[in-house]
Amino acid sequence: MQQNIVIAGYAETPIALKTGRSAFDLAGEVFADLLAKTGLSPRDIDGLSATLPLSESGNVFLAAYMADALGLTPTWLNASGLGGCSAVGGVARAQSAIRDGACKIALVVSADAVSLSGPGHFGAYRAEFSEPQGVQTPAAAFGLLMSRYDHQYGLDPTALGKIAVTQREHACLNANALEKLRKPLTMEDYLKSRMIADPLRVLDCVMFCDGANAFLVMAESEARARGLSKMVLPTAYAEITNYAGDQSCPDITESGFWRIGPQVLAKAGLKPDAIDMFQPYDDFTIAVMMQMEAFGFCERGQGSAYVLATDLSHRGVLPLNTGGGQISAGQPGLAGGGLNLAEGVRQLFGEGEGRQIADPKTALVTGIGTIPYGRNWSTSAAMILEA
Amino acid sequence: MTSPAPRPVPRPDVYVHTQPFWTGARERKLLLQFCTDTGQFQHHPRPVSIHSGSRNLEWREVCGRGVIYACSILRVGRPDAAARLPLDIATIELEEGVRIIANIIDSPADSIRIDAAVVLAWDMLDDDMPYPAFKVVG
Repeated sequence: MQQNIVIAGYAETPIALKTGRSAFDLAGEVFADLLAKTGLSPRDIDGLSATLPLSESGNVFLAAYMADALGLTPTWLNASGLGGCSAVGGVARAQSAIRDGACKIALVVSADAVSLSGPGHFGAYRAEFSEPQGVQTPAAAFGLLMSRYDHQYGLDPTALGKIAVTQREHACLNANALEKLRKPLTMEDYLKSRMIADPLRVLDCVMFCDGANAFLVMAESEARARGLSKMVLPTAYAEITNYAGDQSCPDITESGFWRIGPQVLAKAGLKPDAIDMFQPYDDFTIAVMMQMEAFGFCERGQGSAYVLATDLSHRGVLPLNTGGGQISAGQPGLAGGGLNLAEGVRQLFGEGEGRQIADPKTALVTGIGTIPYGRNWSTSAAMILEA
Repeated sequence: MTSPAPRPVPRPDVYVHTQPFWTGARERKLLLQFCTDTGQFQHHPRPVSIHSGSRNLEWREVCGRGVIYACSILRVGRPDAAARLPLDIATIELEEGVRIIANIIDSPADSIRIDAAVVLAWDMLDDDMPYPAFKVVG
């Protein structure tokens, strides 16, 4: 019988702006917190997956440096370079490594400090084929994507506004959310917010911040033997990179989630209505809506109508990014992929405090990584967690 | 009088062989990679054909006619683009079945919409280097 490999602990720093701290220092904070919460010693941890952060993007040895910084001697080491999928991808790879016997207890840590370091430099085709025309930022790419979505299906700005307003309400209940974002937002605020790349508004976007999160992955039997009673089981995971990358003219309103969304639900044996909370990667509001369609919460192209008709609050039928998501809690660079995973685990542990969902059994958490030339996003990843 | 912000000409052949694109652009010809195995274009340039995986690639001139597939007005950008904001950006689908990201220039604002027919125009980088852009056929 295949043993259950669980997440038996999590930790997260508050999200902050311009801390002046490094990814290593932020990682140290969540690591020490995780040891304190679980009673484990560094010598108990023999696996490490470290997310490659923008703020240390010159360092190809990041994962080994992270082991050194934390005083770990792992027998399994993974540099997780999946952008916003690095945390869920790191957990899934840690599960495989434990099943293979490469390690027993793995730390999956994501830390980034981008608010002072600025964007990374990605080289390749960009200097010749997207920078001369000024199409350099994720916002430019998403303005283009939104225009196409609107053309094909219709995009109601008040639906995107509802996502922003709902997530902001959740951030107000999250002590770790960026302090300056912890004030309510009205629909009028959203609609009046300035255009960045039409029809993309500033309140559709994330703010680059500093922060870290970490997870401990181990066999259920290992967790129980160590007296850890809180755990969640990732029951299904799927990822895909460079979807439609073999086509010159793909439909860009279709992302990799169209392939892996149905797959991951089938693997877990769940229908969309059995998902108790949706914690999707939210670099932009449109990405949230496109994922709702891909996972079958609504029909393709019906995202606006679905959002407007559905209670997405923590008390609603599909609680959405109950910690505020990256859009309202702040995006700690490439550690941002762990933000919504941490919230999913927290809710299933029953530690959601003022935003706790009533008796949740399942969570759907996703990641998005990297923006390719003229499409949507490169890596799509999805994980289902069960209590 | 302030001088316009620099628009440096990128160095070719850094990540793959791209010199033909730049040599063509100098003569105001748009050359893109063409896979001779499958008869399909691709852009941006790559080390292999994305259609077949082979290196049977050559550079062919495209006709320069197409339609707007997606478009936006960029109002906030990186510092090197800041002087040109707001900036009309678009994904153009060319008649040859390949897309290219480009600026829309010399076109009335209300003409720039998805499905509008466009034709190749040339924007200028530094050193009088033409760079492909498009204008709405009106």
